[in-house]
Amino acid sequence: MRKTAYAVLGVAVLAVAGIMLYKALNNSLVYFVLPNEYARDPQGFAGRRIRLGGLVEPGTVHFNDKTLMLTFTITDSIKSYPVRYQGAPPDLFKANQGVVVEGTFDKGTFVGDQLLIKHSSDYRPPKPGQPIDVNMLKKTLQ
Amino acid sequence: MLHLQLGTLGMASLFLAVALALYATIVGALGASRRDARLQTSARLAALATFLVVATAVAVMEAALITNDFSVQYVAANSRIASPLWVKIATLWAALEGSILLWGFLLTAYTALLAFTAPLSPLRPWALAILSGVQVFFLGVAAFIVNPFHTLANPPLDGPGPNALLQNHWMMAVHPVLMYLGFVGLTVPFAYAMAALITRRPGSEWMVQTRRWALTGWGFLGAAIVAGGWWSYDVLGWGGYWAWDPVENVSFMPWLTATAFIHGVQVQERRRMLKSWNVMLIALTFCLSILGTFLTRSGVISSVHAFASGPVGPAFLAFFVLVTLFAFGLIALRWDQVRDRAELDAVVSREGGFLTANILFLAIAFAVLLGTLFPLLVEAVSGQRVTVGPPFFDQVTLPLWMLVFLLMGIGPLLPWRKAEGASLKRNLLWLAGGFVVAGGLALALGMREIYPTLTVALAGYNLVSLGLLLGQVLVPRLRLSTRGAWSVLWGYAHESRRRVGSMIAHLAIVIIALGIAFSSGYRVDQQVRIDFGKSAAFQGYTLTPVDRFMDRSASRISSGAVVDVSKGGRQVATLRPRINIFGSSQEPVSKPAVMTTFSHDLYLNLDNTIGPTTSYVVLRMVYSPLVSWIWFGGLLFAFGVLMSLMPARRQLAERRLELAGEASGEEHAQA
Repeated sequence: MRKTAYAVLGVAVLAVAGIMLYKALNNSLVYFVLPNEYARDPQGFAGRRIRLGGLVEPGTVHFNDKTLMLTFTITDSIKSYPVRYQGAPPDLFKANQGVVVEGTFDKGTFVGDQLLIKHSSDYRPPKPGQPIDVNMLKKTLQ
Repeated sequence: MLHLQLGTLGMASLFLAVALALYATIVGALGASRRDARLQTSARLAALATFLVVATAVAVMEAALITNDFSVQYVAANSRIASPLWVKIATLWAALEGSILLWGFLLTAYTALLAFTAPLSPLRPWALAILSGVQVFFLGVAAFIVNPFHTLANPPLDGPGPNALLQNHWMMAVHPVLMYLGFVGLTVPFAYAMAALITRRPGSEWMVQTRRWALTGWGFLGAAIVAGGWWSYDVLGWGGYWAWDPVENVSFMPWLTATAFIHGVQVQERRRMLKSWNVMLIALTFCLSILGTFLTRSGVISSVHAFASGPVGPAFLAFFVLVTLFAFGLIALRWDQVRDRAELDAVVSREGGFLTANILFLAIAFAVLLGTLFPLLVEAVSGQRVTVGPPFFDQVTLPLWMLVFLLMGIGPLLPWRKAEGASLKRNLLWLAGGFVVAGGLALALGMREIYPTLTVALAGYNLVSLGLLLGQVLVPRLRLSTRGAWSVLWGYAHESRRRVGSMIAHLAIVIIALGIAFSSGYRVDQQVRIDFGKSAAFQGYTLTPVDRFMDRSASRISSGAVVDVSKGGRQVATLRPRINIFGSSQEPVSKPAVMTTFSHDLYLNLDNTIGPTTSYVVLRMVYSPLVSWIWFGGLLFAFGVLMSLMPARRQLAERRLELAGEASGEEHAQA
């Protein structure tokens, strides 16, 4: 009798723990995507936090040093999105730099709250006029 | 000519060390299984020789680093002429190759110490053989996979120096060493546990003989985790100290299982229960420390601050599989002997409390493991790269921590075997009083967030518990004694250092928990732009950047802002947040400036580069309440562990008697 009670209690605790774990995991998963991958399925990422990786498109960087608002366009050469980031650009932020921005999409603009500079000795930004190797880019950024 | 000699000497030492460790393992195991004293002595001498040879290799590497011998590849890749001496010395553990060498070195030092100081027991030969076996792995990796002694034919004139984030703070010289001392210290009880299984002596002998090693390793690991948090806080510029990053998680998991082990040991010592449980916990701790090294050093999991990754992944994975199969296979083989015969008399008892706490520690460790490994799982199944964010870890572990906190207060007050109704009720009433008073105070002061408020209430509850514990032992003593209260307390602290040590450690945990609750629950974080000469208000302070500065030393260039901090019209501090550049090939890193007070920290990080014509600063201002309590709590925790490491004479004698009693008891059981 007592053993059955303990067993039932144990299973109940495990079930609750399992559900809690699943919900918590599901809510905290942050996908890493390139702009072209997001473009394929914007609905699938609606309202989700994602880490958007890509290169800073030359000529698009604008920093308002009064309001500390940084805007630029992130690109993987296939698809580009405007990015808005509240804060000063990190020291190594420059055109053609690999970056990963964490945040959410808001009406076609990516609103980031974290901006990471990714640098790697393997990856060289392409010379003007040459295509970007998307797979290589993804590997470098993640 | 000298160049060549250093690299070659180091290389030769490492290869010789591998051979010696292999000899100590094989001859040690043979000597242990044949009970041959000559072979055992030979293995012990080999363990000493291994230590001396690895010490030579470490000395050679330090000599190469200090004398800027860039013909040694590791020096060329990680050191720099202009670095100060302490950075050069610490560069030994600034990259993967050197870290593995240091790990191997500490392991050989512990083994040699054990070989010549551990009491002669039937367990010692096997334990030494197992430790030597672990040495073979680490030294083998150091010699064959990431050998730091390769000689460069065309040495460069100077090197890039170690990672800038590491040069930026002296903690870099301390934190990794504490971590390895922790991991290596916990290897000793693991080796003794395995020896106990091999020799079919599954009693408490192995635990009693390694109690100090286990406590030392656990204490070092705990101190290392707090030290790492402090480093992260003081260097990374985001004003936090813990991000649930894989590198942090993998050091935290073995600490959690070791914590469960340290507590489980008490039950086995007193009640001869949890035998199999304790063996599994120490095996798990060791396996997790290897798994952690694999995860963070192989690049399978991306981490924000994995400073040293490299080609050791497959070796560590293979070793992890090997030790897991060995340890748990051995436990399965000896299951009949380690299985508990005694049954729990009542759940509401000291041992019941310990067991429940252990389950909670394991549950937390499991949740952390799940969150750390889940990205691998998702990638294997769907090919998508994901990260598990901090919300997961917070949501899952916080409720469990609250339960741990609840048990920490009531557990030590429960008697062994079975709690009596009357005294239990009285104690619970007191504890509930502490909970309600502290919680009510928190609510009255305007706290509303659930976890910080609950933490305050439970802190009050735990303080009452510590008071009751002290009262239980001090009140009768005070009645009998003619001396004053302080002198009685002092006397008690001397007499039962283990009890008092554990109380201090628990008090430290209360302090750390309050620090974490407030600094994460009530942190204010704001980025602002201020023109030089103008002011900005933040959390009651007025911040005025009054000047720019630039410092230049041989090893670094710093530029930053001089910020006057005033409160109520009175200047309270001058902070100098800066950006450092170490050498031409390094990227700039910011070094925050922190003003610490008892109740909060004011933390300023410079977010823009200050040049001669810059007219404004961009500051990240962080107001972090009680954050320094965490660092103080870490120190107090280390002190508590240290205290319980020094048993009083009387206890030592008692334990010897106990041990003798148990040994004879077991013989009876077998007969």
